[in-house]
Amino acid sequence: MTESTSRSRTILVVGGGISGITAAVEAAEAGHDVVLVERSPTLGGRVAQMNRYFPKLCHPTCGLEINYQRIKKSKRIKVFTMASVASVKGAPGGYAVTVRTRPRYVRPNCTACGDCGRAATTEVANPFNYGLDKVKAAHLPHPMAFPMRYVIDPAVAATAEGRAIEAACPVGAVNLDDAEGSFELEVGAVVWATGWRPYPADKLTAYRWSEMANVVTNVEMERLASPDGPTKGRIVRPSDGAVPKKVALIQCAGSRDLNHLAYCSRICCLASMKHAAYVREQIADAQVDVYYIDLRAHDKLESFVQRVKRDPQVRFVKSKPARIEAGAGDNPVVCGENTLTREVYAEPYDLVVLATGMQAATAEGEVPVFAPDLDDYGFIFPESGAIAAGVASGPLDVSMSVQSATAAALKAIRAVSA
Amino acid sequence: MSHVPTPTQTYDLSFARWVYGHVDGGDRLALCMQCGTCSGSCPLGPQMDFGPRKLFMMIRAGLKDQVLGSNTIWNCVSCYNCVVRCPRQVPVKHILQSLATVAVREGYPGARETDNARFAKAFWWSAAKYGRTDERLVTAKFYFSYGLSKGYRKSMANLAIAKGMVKARRMHLGLPHKCKNAGELKLILARAAEIEARHGDAS
Repeated sequence: MTESTSRSRTILVVGGGISGITAAVEAAEAGHDVVLVERSPTLGGRVAQMNRYFPKLCHPTCGLEINYQRIKKSKRIKVFTMASVASVKGAPGGYAVTVRTRPRYVRPNCTACGDCGRAATTEVANPFNYGLDKVKAAHLPHPMAFPMRYVIDPAVAATAEGRAIEAACPVGAVNLDDAEGSFELEVGAVVWATGWRPYPADKLTAYRWSEMANVVTNVEMERLASPDGPTKGRIVRPSDGAVPKKVALIQCAGSRDLNHLAYCSRICCLASMKHAAYVREQIADAQVDVYYIDLRAHDKLESFVQRVKRDPQVRFVKSKPARIEAGAGDNPVVCGENTLTREVYAEPYDLVVLATGMQAATAEGEVPVFAPDLDDYGFIFPESGAIAAGVASGPLDVSMSVQSATAAALKAIRAVSA
Repeated sequence: MSHVPTPTQTYDLSFARWVYGHVDGGDRLALCMQCGTCSGSCPLGPQMDFGPRKLFMMIRAGLKDQVLGSNTIWNCVSCYNCVVRCPRQVPVKHILQSLATVAVREGYPGARETDNARFAKAFWWSAAKYGRTDERLVTAKFYFSYGLSKGYRKSMANLAIAKGMVKARRMHLGLPHKCKNAGELKLILARAAEIEARHGDAS
């Protein structure tokens, strides 16, 4: 450890998902100053994109709401959205951090009235719904956004449309001169809560997600089932909007596979149980087939699997499907070998959901990470001394991420108190 | 090729361990997690008695005679679907073909008489003799391995295809093509056989 000239007791949390939020509020409530930096326009991360949590099928909005309240009540947390870490120099106790910001074009006095969205004409792909639909170039990131503030797409900022959006704002919150910027921070500890992204389904060529509309991923299924999603919560086939009567859930789509993610992503089995529950709640006569190698439900989650297994309309097929073929009427045909019966099957479905795994956001260099060492899969290597919270350290579900983030907050407190 | 152990009791891993150590690609066989991707990917899967996945479990179970007597090892057409899709990167095709060789060497009943064994033998005869495969000679040797009358009938049944191939210049009528230095090829093959024999003794 190099001797730093100045010591800071401030904790920087990188990433504003459930883990980053948890680490920030835990550290702040223990009496430490926290700076929370989030790349996107809002906090909430992947959790905000979930319809429900397993195993109790409760709504993530309530957990987020509680945590947003904790942030608002705390005088010690400073939140920066649309901001990413550009460089980190120093050692535990004294880091010099450069943060780069992107323009939002909307000032804090925005009341989220929506007049700017109505004035906008251009539509852009909606990242909140994984591109399943489009939003206006001036939009609220999602109904649970924090801060509750609109964002304007840079593509329209310097156009006549941008000026129309500005004119539409009744409180003068639009600032078309907003620009990229950067600022420096002195912090004593850095908590990396950089999270994950779904493994890119286009790489699973045998499952033909890119070509077939009715093959979707598990994260897209969450959006289809969400009341604030592209279909207002109705589970329908993307090709024709029909209600699917026969649904296949394919486990280990890219996980436990040396050609893709070599590790088990841990959450997909339970996420698929949840998807079986969504379909069976909405569509009384639907048949759901779960294709699995083996179901991995750790400790208390086993009872949820047993609950789903009691449903006679949910069938479990022990098989990793070999490929998906195009059938009549845009129906994907799932092909493989049932390993219990040795039967080679080719089964048509209305809708196929691929349980794609969790890839570290720090894998493949999309997020620049300065201090921590990464393991072979891009997760932060715990022995490196870096403090990782949640999925930045490895695949975890939400409750385990919260535990991990609380532990990370304690490690950060120890680092700044030394 | 060293002695292939015959399991005598339940949970006897001697055969499985022999396969891990002696069969091409066998060192990755222990990684198989029985997911079924190989058997599901196989264009000949429905024709196979066991399919690769079940065959691999049978190896672990010590079912030597059923494994080496199966038609699964002879039905592989080397399409490599299983090899590219296997999540554990088990070289399924290498293992099946290597086991087929073991079945012939160990004199498993019927192994030499399968279509694939006959064709492989005819193919190797041409490759080793000329350093090239001559379509006419390989097919003739393959067909007549079934005996004179059966060979004649098979040849006549495929005459139209042969004519078409000649017309399309995919089959020629002159002397067989040869590689440039057939003598050196023989030396290379003799050396390979020597190395193989030594390898078998050592293990």
